[in-house]
Amino acid sequence: MTLELSKLTGQMRAMGEELAAREQQYADLVALARRWLAEYADQGEELRHRIRSIRPARRCHAAIPTDETLDAVHHLPGIPERFTFIAADGTQIQPDRHGAVLYSLITVGSIVYRHGSGQAPEARSQPTLSYTEADLYENGILVAGNLLDVRRDLAEITCLADLCTAEPSSPRTSPFRWRFVRTVAVVDGTLILWVLEDMPPEGRQRKITEYLHQLDRIRDTGASVAAFISRPRRGEVAQLLHLANVGGDVNRAIEEPNPLQHLPDRAIFGWLPPGARSALFASSTPINCDHYQPAGHDIHFCYVNVDSRHPLAQEDHEAIIARVEFPAWVAQDANRLALVHGAIVAQARITGDYPYALVRADELAFISGPEREALESMVLTALMDAGVRTALSPKRYYKTLTRQGRRKRR
Amino acid sequence: MSNSSLKVGRVLRADTRGFVIGCTVLQPDIPAFGSFVRAEGRAPGSVIYGTIYDVSLEDDAFVRHFISVNPTEEVVQDQRQNRQVPIEVSVLALGCSDGKRIRHCLPAQPPVTLDWLYQCTDEEVRGFTARFDYFRLVLEAREAPTDELLAASLRAAAAARPAGEQEVFLIEAGRELARLLAGDPVRLEGLLRRLRDV
Repeated sequence: MTLELSKLTGQMRAMGEELAAREQQYADLVALARRWLAEYADQGEELRHRIRSIRPARRCHAAIPTDETLDAVHHLPGIPERFTFIAADGTQIQPDRHGAVLYSLITVGSIVYRHGSGQAPEARSQPTLSYTEADLYENGILVAGNLLDVRRDLAEITCLADLCTAEPSSPRTSPFRWRFVRTVAVVDGTLILWVLEDMPPEGRQRKITEYLHQLDRIRDTGASVAAFISRPRRGEVAQLLHLANVGGDVNRAIEEPNPLQHLPDRAIFGWLPPGARSALFASSTPINCDHYQPAGHDIHFCYVNVDSRHPLAQEDHEAIIARVEFPAWVAQDANRLALVHGAIVAQARITGDYPYALVRADELAFISGPEREALESMVLTALMDAGVRTALSPKRYYKTLTRQGRRKRR
Repeated sequence: MSNSSLKVGRVLRADTRGFVIGCTVLQPDIPAFGSFVRAEGRAPGSVIYGTIYDVSLEDDAFVRHFISVNPTEEVVQDQRQNRQVPIEVSVLALGCSDGKRIRHCLPAQPPVTLDWLYQCTDEEVRGFTARFDYFRLVLEAREAPTDELLAASLRAAAAARPAGEQEVFLIEAGRELARLLAGDPVRLEGLLRRLRDV
């Protein structure tokens, strides 16, 4: 073992003391944020107009209020007896220039869970290998890191769109499809391709167009789509409250320090009763305003307490607040919104606090250590069969030797 | 009595003395403790015979989580049909055949990974249990509950025969056991008691 844990003892103790001291400060900030939320609850419309009137880049990531009061609480709606919950999650193996050959892999796990059917959910796992020059490079840049993340996000949403299209209860052509379609498609994470904000405009546009096309396909089936974020760190509502506290003056909001800067929104909404959701907000990120909104997919979000406890049980128990994102066509349709809200809570109640289908989709996508080794072995065999001689880089070779663990003496 | 040859599952791992197969769902009679199964040998037409001595289902932390949270029927079916597979079935090798003659001995080679394992038909069971030389392999097996296994397999072998032949078959089997276990009357008595319960 190289990590000398004994050398960390002092740092660990200091970390514990630091966190304990920060707890009181954190509680004070939560109280301040909740006070502001109540104080400015009715100023949503004014704040919305102010934020919408300025350029997306200067909106300082403040949440955009909707018609709902900022401190609104929407209790759990009735959950339909039968509905379909489709979840997809992806994982990837990054291209390794020290490996025997350059390739990447994306695996998408998906599950179709039919509530009230008594049937086993349909579980799938779809791996895709990228190895051609055209696959591995985009504009001369190796598809790795954030670029590969975006490709995985695209694979996830495409998988959801395919599964929604295949649903027998999705008659795309029926004008009355909304009456009997009850399908919710959910990804783990976000619907907003944040990482593209740093990409050149032409590459960004192509990927966003492709992503939004998949959202169109899901909408056309009559299904609803959402993203589920567990323990979210985002602070857009905290930023909105800061803006409200400086009278809606964006310049002041940018110049003056925000006391709630490091407070995640989920802390503000910790008072939501089990199953309830917060008010709806729209995302003010440039990528949403510049690309999603014009295409009719303006991303909205709310916070939901997915804890399955009874509302009167143990008041000191910390709420389990998740962030749920969906496009405008879900947010503005009361039936779809209620279905997404109810479906996510129903799924979370299966495990206690997290959607069951997302756990399974992650499991189906996960690539274990032995599976990685088996894949590498398959790749090497395929290369040898094709008469290609190759080897690990010296760096990778010696890492392999030192990281194998010691042999036991018999 | 059954005459159909049903697939039980595929071989996961094997050695000369036995093999473990994986199957997806437990059906009412398949796989059953003590039932006779066969796998194809490496040589064309050859067969390896065995009897099932253990059926095991693995658990993990996720399935344990649902013990306390009252899962939905969909979750139960997901855990059974999609997650907790394969169900592992352990088989004790008892004999082999070259397609002409059945021999009660360990096979020269075990089946290989992903070979199919079939439930023996009644005709195959009658053919294999026409002699009792395989008793010694069962009685000496270390990994199996031998006496229970032998009793269960004899019950399965009797059931594969017409009603009028079953009692004669079991009496013949009891005589062979009395010969093999003459030095261990307590064990013999326990085994015969189990056979009498048929």
